[in-house]
Amino acid sequence: MEINTITGILDTTLALIFTWIGYKTSRIIWKYTPYSYPNARIRAMEARFFTEQRFSELAESKTLNNFVMNLEDSDYKPYLSKLNSYTAETIDRAFDEALADTYALMFKILPKRVRQFFNLLLEEWDVRNISSVVKAKLYGEVARDYVAELGTMIEKIKAMAEAKTMEEILVILEGTEYEEVYQKLLLKEISVEEFETELYRMHYLKLLNFALSRGDEERKILEEFVKLKIDKINILTILRAKLHRLSSEKIKSMLLMEGSLSQRTIETLLNVEDLSMALAELDSTKYSEIVREVREELEKGDLASFEVAFEKFIRRKMIEFTRFYPLSVAVPVSYILQKESEVRKLKAIAKLIEDKIKPEKIKTIIGEIP
Amino acid sequence: MDPIVYVALGAALAAGIAGAASSFGVGIAGAAAAGAVAEDEKNFKNALILQGLPMTQSIYGLITLFLILLVSGILGGTFKFADSTQENIIKSAILLGAGLTVGLTGLSAIPQGIIASAGIGAVSKNPKTFTQGIIFAAMAETMAIFGLVGALIMIITGVGF
Amino acid sequence: MFKPDEMVKIEVITLNRYKDKLLTYFHEEGVVEIREISVEIAQKDVPNEFYRKATSYSIGISRLTEFLKSFKTETKGGIKEFFFPTPEVKKPYKYKGIEELVKEVESFLEKVEPEIKAIEQKLNTLSTEIERIKTNISILELLSLLNIDISYLRSTKMLEIVAGLVDREKFKPLIDELNTALKGRLVHVEKEMKAQYLVVFVILRRDYDKANPILAKYSFERIEIPEGKGTPREMIREYRHLLAEKERRLEDVKREAQKLAERYHDKIAFYQELMENERDKANILSNLVRTNMTFALSGWIPKSEVLRIVKGIEKITEGKVYTSIKNPTQDELDDIPIKLKNPKPLRPFEMLTEMFGVPKYNEFDPTPILAFTYSFFFGFMLTDAIYGLIIGITAALLIKGHKHLKDGTYKFSHILLWSSFFTILMGILFGSYFGDILQRAGFKVPMLIDPLKDALIVLGIALAIGLMHLFIGYTLGFIVKLKNGEVKDAILDQLSWMLIILGVVSFILSMQGMMPDIIAKGLFGAGFVLFILSELKNGGLAALLIISDFFGFIGNWLSYARLMALALATSGIAMVINILVEMIWGVKIGPVPIGMAIALILFAGGQLFSTAINALGAFVHALRLHYVEFFGTFYSGEGKRFEPFKSKRRISKLEIEV
Repeated sequence: MEINTITGILDTTLALIFTWIGYKTSRIIWKYTPYSYPNARIRAMEARFFTEQRFSELAESKTLNNFVMNLEDSDYKPYLSKLNSYTAETIDRAFDEALADTYALMFKILPKRVRQFFNLLLEEWDVRNISSVVKAKLYGEVARDYVAELGTMIEKIKAMAEAKTMEEILVILEGTEYEEVYQKLLLKEISVEEFETELYRMHYLKLLNFALSRGDEERKILEEFVKLKIDKINILTILRAKLHRLSSEKIKSMLLMEGSLSQRTIETLLNVEDLSMALAELDSTKYSEIVREVREELEKGDLASFEVAFEKFIRRKMIEFTRFYPLSVAVPVSYILQKESEVRKLKAIAKLIEDKIKPEKIKTIIGEIP
Repeated sequence: MDPIVYVALGAALAAGIAGAASSFGVGIAGAAAAGAVAEDEKNFKNALILQGLPMTQSIYGLITLFLILLVSGILGGTFKFADSTQENIIKSAILLGAGLTVGLTGLSAIPQGIIASAGIGAVSKNPKTFTQGIIFAAMAETMAIFGLVGALIMIITGVGF
Repeated sequence: MFKPDEMVKIEVITLNRYKDKLLTYFHEEGVVEIREISVEIAQKDVPNEFYRKATSYSIGISRLTEFLKSFKTETKGGIKEFFFPTPEVKKPYKYKGIEELVKEVESFLEKVEPEIKAIEQKLNTLSTEIERIKTNISILELLSLLNIDISYLRSTKMLEIVAGLVDREKFKPLIDELNTALKGRLVHVEKEMKAQYLVVFVILRRDYDKANPILAKYSFERIEIPEGKGTPREMIREYRHLLAEKERRLEDVKREAQKLAERYHDKIAFYQELMENERDKANILSNLVRTNMTFALSGWIPKSEVLRIVKGIEKITEGKVYTSIKNPTQDELDDIPIKLKNPKPLRPFEMLTEMFGVPKYNEFDPTPILAFTYSFFFGFMLTDAIYGLIIGITAALLIKGHKHLKDGTYKFSHILLWSSFFTILMGILFGSYFGDILQRAGFKVPMLIDPLKDALIVLGIALAIGLMHLFIGYTLGFIVKLKNGEVKDAILDQLSWMLIILGVVSFILSMQGMMPDIIAKGLFGAGFVLFILSELKNGGLAALLIISDFFGFIGNWLSYARLMALALATSGIAMVINILVEMIWGVKIGPVPIGMAIALILFAGGQLFSTAINALGAFVHALRLHYVEFFGTFYSGEGKRFEPFKSKRRISKLEIEV
């Protein structure tokens, strides 16, 4: 061979290697760099989650005054110190505000390509608020009591709660994506339950579409997360319906879109005779872990404990993801889940203290909150 | 090609690629350090040390650069391989190889920065994981060290002072 | 040495009335690890009212301390404080019981807390007022665009007046919709801004309910109209005045807070520490069990402390106690907490072992070996006499300054001191003083090997050291396993590698013609067969791992090449700095030898940086060679660390009255 050919081959190889290395390197940098700052910060925030110990100390508070005092060295202090009087309700609002700020922080520090997801998660509170306000109005209760001050459209929700007639609510909802469904409800085309299902269906479709539009790990993590949530609602709906012996057609209309459970499994679940057979079917899916954990309660027809176990399962899965992908969207997602759980527990403690429940009892109840 | 091209390329690539990789690595870890410190200033010391780890690759690059300049005589004032004899071309090609080895293995600074970044996250959650974090990050440096060993052998036995 | 400290199990049953004192005694002594007892007939102990209060106070006080601390004038800091931290004075407290203590804190807080809270309240109100004034000013600045007297913007009996902002594109439809809904009973004033419109609506009070949902629909952002009279501009002037006054007041209150901090901070911090320790005690209670009259606790204690502690227990309980001391049984092997025990000079190195994990009770404590090899590796990788000297002096100063603290820095400095000794030694052997500065200056430096010229010899030495290090590791593992009766594992997992290493060594020797190569082949062959057997014992599929495991070993061995690389890196960086210095040295601007000054600065800064970065590298990689390569040969580190029930005292000292 001529010298020229050899140098030619060498040069091409070199060029190829450099291109490949350059490509790979830039991919790696693009993938991880944006998560570097937020994830370290979130990890540092995780260090401040309350331990079991801390919860039981809080449960020992006896009065709400002490409870707030015991939280004085925590992140909740700025929210609580704004309060003039301490009741479970005002404290609740303070916690909601803290949680809303957590969402806002996530939105602020996360990379542009995923931050929208946290806004969408926040919208779940809108859905929750809308459906509870509408339900409260229909059943003639005080809607204000059911509003959590969280979400992307608090002001509208508050105005809805103040509204005197159902038509006024329509005016407020005009121009939002919820308008159409609500109109159907007003025209009595759908029932309240269907209305609620439809709201959640819309919401989860948005979440799922967003998750599916991402790439790589982000898609994997977000998709798994959303599908777990969908599965949770679907399975709970099915089990609840089985408990009340509804027909499979009826149940089917109440389900959200397909989650990670296959269509076939869902069909089987719909068509089995009763709850215990549905459980047997679930036992062969990836949720067998949950079913086994709360088998006894389930057989007694206690679905609340199943829901709790499911919540915990989702959280476990997400924490597992943070171990596999320490620099990914799994860290903020699992942080939000843990934070929500912490807030739930704190709210429950406040409520129980107000109701003068014994500390020992509070501790056991807290242990059962997801 | 003239020997000077090989020699200059070798020196430049060793320090250049390794240096660029180091700056990316330190940058990634630095962002994490800023995040950790934003939440708790106590994390500063630990984060700083972890952030500094991906810097070593650029130092290996620099050492190689100087060694190449030294053995080729550029640093002494007279370039030893100025004539395009076969021996000179071989020697300068070896220097190019040595430089490339250190430069390319120096790319390990980027993953090292990523590991350090995750490590800073872990340390700010639980300060006890500090040493473990350092060890994990140090694992990525092994390749750069092997690169340096290889380059040193190439330069010293292949060309010599 | 080589074995963890001997532990015994201690069980104590005594009367409830001694509980507080006994726990406090254990807490202050800090040599017992209290474990949970599971006895069915007795119930778990729970904190009483005083412990609960202690917990609550400890959090409450910590807030007060933090508040006061932010106003305390600090004079500390700087490099001197780093080397020689001022020792904290430990104030004694006579402990009579938790009741007394909690009551004392209570009465103290009753006096002090209102004072502090009052100041805090003042600060808070002032800051919120200032905030409010600032928002009012910004609102007024906005309203000044309209230039309407503010009193016209207040609602009246008949009219509802709302001012606010609405997005630019929503403005038009909002007006239209309001007009249709209210049938034209609407007046509005608007002012165009960048992305929004500032609008003031006047509507009839009875129409308000109709208008409200429409306003919500278009996300109309309401503005609270500030108090006061006159046009916005006039009011802004007034508010500015008010703001200045409030800010003056704020400064006054801050000075007050400083005074308060000076008076109370130390005392409050003292009580905080006392309360935190009580909180710690309250938390251990759930590990105890009790009946109406008695309680029981169980835990682990180093054998050497038993006599003293048992005597202490007798004294505190006035002899009304049942104590049982038991040696650990075979079943409890995994439960025994591990406290490392080494002679004093080696003790700082326990830190490095503990970071990886402590051995199990029947395993070997590698600290003594690690102490030697770690400092040696560190020295080998740094290899510069003067760098070693710098590190040694720094470490010695730190040891002196932190003697009273016995903290992490103190232990770490000890490790550095040992390592610096080897650094100096290796530096002298390799003839490296600030790299090659002496040679460049024209001195002849005695040396055994020139690392840069004879890099291959250094590499050979590094690999030989590596082989030796691995061999020591496998041998230790072999001995421990034999002792614990795991003969099969010992032969398959450890002996195989020992033979392979011996094979490699004798092969190298036979190449030099020092012994026939049949021995090398035999040793290597036998080792390799054992190795393959050990892989196969995990089942047939594991055979796939044979190649990767074997090359894993080669990789581990070659990893010791970093000893050479880092040694050369040190001399390399030093050389780079020296060359630069040499180049600048002669530069002159006219008669001024400016080059000399710059060169000196560069030299000092560069060499210090080089010391720091190379020491960090040496520290990390010496550690890695131990954790990954060395411990991989024999050490699991799966033991449970001894975590005694121990008080944390920085500024207080407890004296128990018996």
